[in-house]
Amino acid sequence: MKRNRMFMLALVALVLLPGLLFAMPSAEEKGGKEMRLAWWGNPTRDERTLKAADMFMAKYPEVKIESETTGWAGYWDKLNTQAAAGSLPDLIQHDYAYMLQWVTRNQLADLTPYIKDGTIDLSKVNDSFLTGGMVDGKLYGISLGTNAVCLTYDPAVLAKAGIAKPDTATWTWDDFERIAIEVYRKTGVQTIPFFTTDPRVGFEHLIRQQGDVLFGTTGLGFTDVSALREFYAIQLRLQDAGALIKPEVAFVSVSPEEGEFAKGRSWVEFIWSNQFVATQNAAGRPLELGLMPILKGAKAKGTYLKPSMFFSIPAKAANPKDAARFLNYFLNDIEVNDMLMGERGVPIPDDVRNHMATKVDAINKQIFDFISLASTNSGPIDPPDPPASGEFLKMVRDVTQEILLKRISLDAGVAKIMNEGNNILK
Amino acid sequence: MKQTIRPKRSLADDIAGYAFISPWLLGFIAFSVIPIFFSLYYSFTSYDILGSPVFNGLDNFRRMAHDKLFWQSLKVTFFYAFISVPLRLLFAFFVAMLFNRGTRAIRVYQAVYYIPSLVGGSIAIAVMWRRIFIADGVLNAVLAKIGIITDYSWIGSPDTAIWTLIILAVWQFGSSMLIFLAGLRQIPTEYYEAASIDGAGAMRKFAHITVPQITPVLFFNLIMQLISGFTVFTQAFVVSGGTGDPLNSTLVYALYLYQRAFKYYDMGYSSAMAWVLVLIIGVMTAIVFKTSTSWVFYESKEGK
Repeated sequence: MKRNRMFMLALVALVLLPGLLFAMPSAEEKGGKEMRLAWWGNPTRDERTLKAADMFMAKYPEVKIESETTGWAGYWDKLNTQAAAGSLPDLIQHDYAYMLQWVTRNQLADLTPYIKDGTIDLSKVNDSFLTGGMVDGKLYGISLGTNAVCLTYDPAVLAKAGIAKPDTATWTWDDFERIAIEVYRKTGVQTIPFFTTDPRVGFEHLIRQQGDVLFGTTGLGFTDVSALREFYAIQLRLQDAGALIKPEVAFVSVSPEEGEFAKGRSWVEFIWSNQFVATQNAAGRPLELGLMPILKGAKAKGTYLKPSMFFSIPAKAANPKDAARFLNYFLNDIEVNDMLMGERGVPIPDDVRNHMATKVDAINKQIFDFISLASTNSGPIDPPDPPASGEFLKMVRDVTQEILLKRISLDAGVAKIMNEGNNILK
Repeated sequence: MKQTIRPKRSLADDIAGYAFISPWLLGFIAFSVIPIFFSLYYSFTSYDILGSPVFNGLDNFRRMAHDKLFWQSLKVTFFYAFISVPLRLLFAFFVAMLFNRGTRAIRVYQAVYYIPSLVGGSIAIAVMWRRIFIADGVLNAVLAKIGIITDYSWIGSPDTAIWTLIILAVWQFGSSMLIFLAGLRQIPTEYYEAASIDGAGAMRKFAHITVPQITPVLFFNLIMQLISGFTVFTQAFVVSGGTGDPLNSTLVYALYLYQRAFKYYDMGYSSAMAWVLVLIIGVMTAIVFKTSTSWVFYESKEGK
């Protein structure tokens, strides 16, 4: 009987043991030379970033980089959970949309000390590229590439309709509307509703031209609704002329390959410039890249240069020193950037950018040219989104569909965005 | 002599029992019990994951009363559950009746018809579903073949989008069907034979033998399906790309809860929503149980 009991106890211990081991932090994690790196991405980005990590480790064999990668949606679930558990990686890819929230929760480290001690070299970087990562004068993220909102169109369709390529540095929404209707009349190709995944990007561009900002400190940053109204009025006019793709079709979220633009049913698509390569691949035909049209009577520039994504170091990172070293290497090293090929956006150090411009393929050259066009036609970026912006954007997307499906009148829709927007953001 | 003397269990036996279930028990405590208690606590807090939870009493529950999307998601979920569950059960019962006649290939059919239940919750099927019901999808291609030419987007129109999810749910009738089938096999053949001798037709046999005899199984199926109907998530998430589009017509409760938790990082509110859902399902189940005495036929009771 006694032996039996001993046996049982041993059995319990055996079963429980793995659980206990699992709960203990592994000794390896506490070692100083491991650096954990996390990013969201796609197969191309994953492959290139892993390669960059390998190149760094070959150069500095004392550092071991552990990589973690997921898609965009899963990335933030994972990162937030890790933040709650206090086990964030040492270097994390971050986004403008979540920057403010993370900084106000003291989750990110100020990078200024690493710049002062020379670990991160920003001598070749123009200050205007850094402001996006700054909150209250402290630098919380370094931009990995420059991005701007843009419009891409199919030159073959315009040629077929006998329309000259527009000069997008100067064209207005009137020009856009005229071209859209002309294209439809001559070729039957329609126009996609503007920014179906995130209509905010579209009307923010118009609101900025009014001289206003989208988000204020306690609600919406504007009271003059004329630009917001115009954003929908243009689309409704195109819809009445039969030139707008049905919202029932356009708002179904699909991969770029399944989109109406890739299928050739729209002559135009609205994207961020770092989505151009994917859009081009999906469409499989030559595309042009241009600036968004100007609003009549514009007081300011609607376009702005946005950091496509950042690298940030969490405040409680276990190995911030190596994280900063890798960040510097990733940012400034010509060799590694030759391999990265501007996949995260146009690089910010002048020497890297100039070097890359001579190296990139035709499609990336279009992006580089566009960014240089945009940099002379843009205004300063607005402050990062407030935490409630996610809910606001969902509401806007819903109301946009209501307006275009004609479930609600234009004026009622605009009023709804203003009322509910101020309510959500207060 | 109803009472039997229970043999005294030794401590060793107890330990052995727990030891054998301990892998499951550990997982259950770590991944179910603890999170459940945490979520109960979070439901009375304001919590955005990044910061620490701040106790705010019943605020989350009060907010629900004014949250239009909360009510919309309830509406969608009730509609979905009340339409899809009866349809699925009817369909499952119908197919089970067909299979109960026992041809030789029946095992093959059972397997084939069970497959949708196995794969139905998968991402691949939900993605395929989109392809079927988009404007240039399979359905419209088939309609065009029979002369109905349309570019109607079944998935993009607020009036029809939820129906694509309901059809998906009905298509996954396999597990209910197998349970029905098992129930049908349990009905003693003597009943049918006796009825035949008395001259009862097929319809009468169905109405007076099959249906009453199957009610306990129907009861079980109804409860299980109601619960899965109210907690539907994956299909709605994938088919609408996580948005509940169009116009929140596919914004089922669990999807809105997910959006609150993982898109807006409103963990306190979504925990509160989860507990409200528990309450709703509890009430629904209680109603079914309460009414069951009047429609579920138990042999043992009759025999008393």
